[in-house]
Amino acid sequence: MTDVKADMPAVQLAAQANETTTPGPPLPDFGAPLRLRTNFFWSIYGVWFRHARVYCKTLAANATPPILEPLFFFTAITLGLGQYLRPEGFAGLSYPAFVASGIVVSSPMFTAIFETTFGTFVRLVFQKTYDAMLGTHLRISEMFVGELLFCATKGAAFSAIVLLMTLAFGVRPSPWCVLTPLVGFVTAYLFASIGLIVTSYVKMINNFAFFTSGVITPLFFFSGTFFPIRGHHIAIDVISYLVPLTPAIELSRACFKGVFTVETLGFGASLLVYALIAHVVALHRMTRRVLR
Amino acid sequence: MTAHFSPWSRAWAIIAGMERLDADPTIPLISANALTKRYDELNAVDAVSFDIAPNECVAFLGPNGAGKTTLMRMIHSAIEKTSGSLTVFDRTPMRDRKLINARVGVVFQDNNLDQELNAREALLVHALYCGLDHATANQRITQLFEWLALQEKTKSTIRALSGGMVRRLMVARALLNSPDLLLLDEPTTGLDPQVRHTIWSLLRQLKRQGITILLTTHYMEEAQQLADRVMVMDRGNIILSGTPNALISEHLERYVLQASGLDELPVINDGVRHERAGDAHYFYSNDEAPLQRLHEQLPTQYAVLRHANLEDVFLKFTGRGLSE
Repeated sequence: MTDVKADMPAVQLAAQANETTTPGPPLPDFGAPLRLRTNFFWSIYGVWFRHARVYCKTLAANATPPILEPLFFFTAITLGLGQYLRPEGFAGLSYPAFVASGIVVSSPMFTAIFETTFGTFVRLVFQKTYDAMLGTHLRISEMFVGELLFCATKGAAFSAIVLLMTLAFGVRPSPWCVLTPLVGFVTAYLFASIGLIVTSYVKMINNFAFFTSGVITPLFFFSGTFFPIRGHHIAIDVISYLVPLTPAIELSRACFKGVFTVETLGFGASLLVYALIAHVVALHRMTRRVLR
Repeated sequence: MTAHFSPWSRAWAIIAGMERLDADPTIPLISANALTKRYDELNAVDAVSFDIAPNECVAFLGPNGAGKTTLMRMIHSAIEKTSGSLTVFDRTPMRDRKLINARVGVVFQDNNLDQELNAREALLVHALYCGLDHATANQRITQLFEWLALQEKTKSTIRALSGGMVRRLMVARALLNSPDLLLLDEPTTGLDPQVRHTIWSLLRQLKRQGITILLTTHYMEEAQQLADRVMVMDRGNIILSGTPNALISEHLERYVLQASGLDELPVINDGVRHERAGDAHYFYSNDEAPLQRLHEQLPTQYAVLRHANLEDVFLKFTGRGLSE
């Protein structure tokens, strides 16, 4: 090393000083055994923390559009379209409350979907974040459960923010509406899992457009976010009952009304079953994709 | 090693993270037997067998596509083997991925540091993945930054770091969990000579601390500088294995005269072996004198008389033409 340096001009040496500094202090005893927390909970916390840290670094840029969007939906639809609708509202709720109870769960859906489609794809293909995680003891299930839980946390936060926003606009739901962030949590977990399943098949980032425009947008309308769609045609009724956003919206409406029936219980169960199935399939698919 | 008799107690041990591995210095740290990884029609790793002892430093040498990275990925459970057997710390990768990887540090070929975080945060999240608590993680990161002379770069984004700093940071990241086995996939590819020597000095220090090191490289000098043992890979096979010096003395003469730009071949004395690859000529001999006389005769300035090195052995076995 000294030979190499001997022939180099001082200016060049100075310019490279940062690069060439041979580590000075003796190596700390890195061989000393460490107590590693290799348990499931700490592992998923590590992954959750990573996503939360990245998200909060550019919080303003990350959180502004997803908060503005429901705000625009709410104001444009209720204050605009709402003027022309019957005053008694739908399903026992005033029209603004009806729309509010819809977007309070569609907003978590969108944030979760985008996080685990575009976000996961970039981490998987361009940034190779999961490859780095594979170098540690993390199980692939832990890597993705941490990610799904982060999406769910974000979903709950978005539900809460949208709820507060609609309260500020004069919507007065029942006190049970405090439960909607919980519904938002499960909804976000479900759609984040669906996003992972889609990502596991996608080869190019442009392909997501088929999913977001072809699946998520119609789903958004077929689950009765802005208007009740059931009771017109049997086919629409069936579709409406099957799309996974419907139970989330029905639960949220029940919370807004403060009226819980057996049907509500059924919607709650189906939301959880959807989430469980999506979770299992997502982990299975992502394991195959990551261990290529 | 804790024995877990029922699936339930094993499952609980896994959830609670209570399973531990204890090193046994008498058994090989890594043991592969007819290990194969097949991708469609291609055998990326083709029935290789080898043992690696604790505290050994072994270099896998080979051209691009020889199967070195695939082998590394099988060792740290990033891909499933196709057939054969592989044990690491006497455990099976994939099945015991958690136990094994808790004691392994990996330095990847590509920069996969978390681009969305700064240098310190990237190490912090990795330390959490490894199972360190926040306090231990921060203390260790500070030590590592100090040791690697990166203190001034703690707040830099990964993109703002030079290639050499990125590589040092990746070494630091691999050391967070106090590994017993360090895997390095082409640790100095694309780096300038200064950084390369710095990394080599770091690795020698780590070896002195008892860490077993496995590295892949296509720099012969790197293998000669660091490795106790070299395994030369080509097309998925280990074609040669031994200490760098033994490989050279076993397979080649001591001296090489390398020349190019010759219009006609000079008269070759007895005891000098001649090889040709494209417009380059290689003259081998165990005595320096005949090669020196030959050197003086040559009408070209592009002639060098030197000791045979690992690169000559490597090229002898993998061929001097393009293998890709």
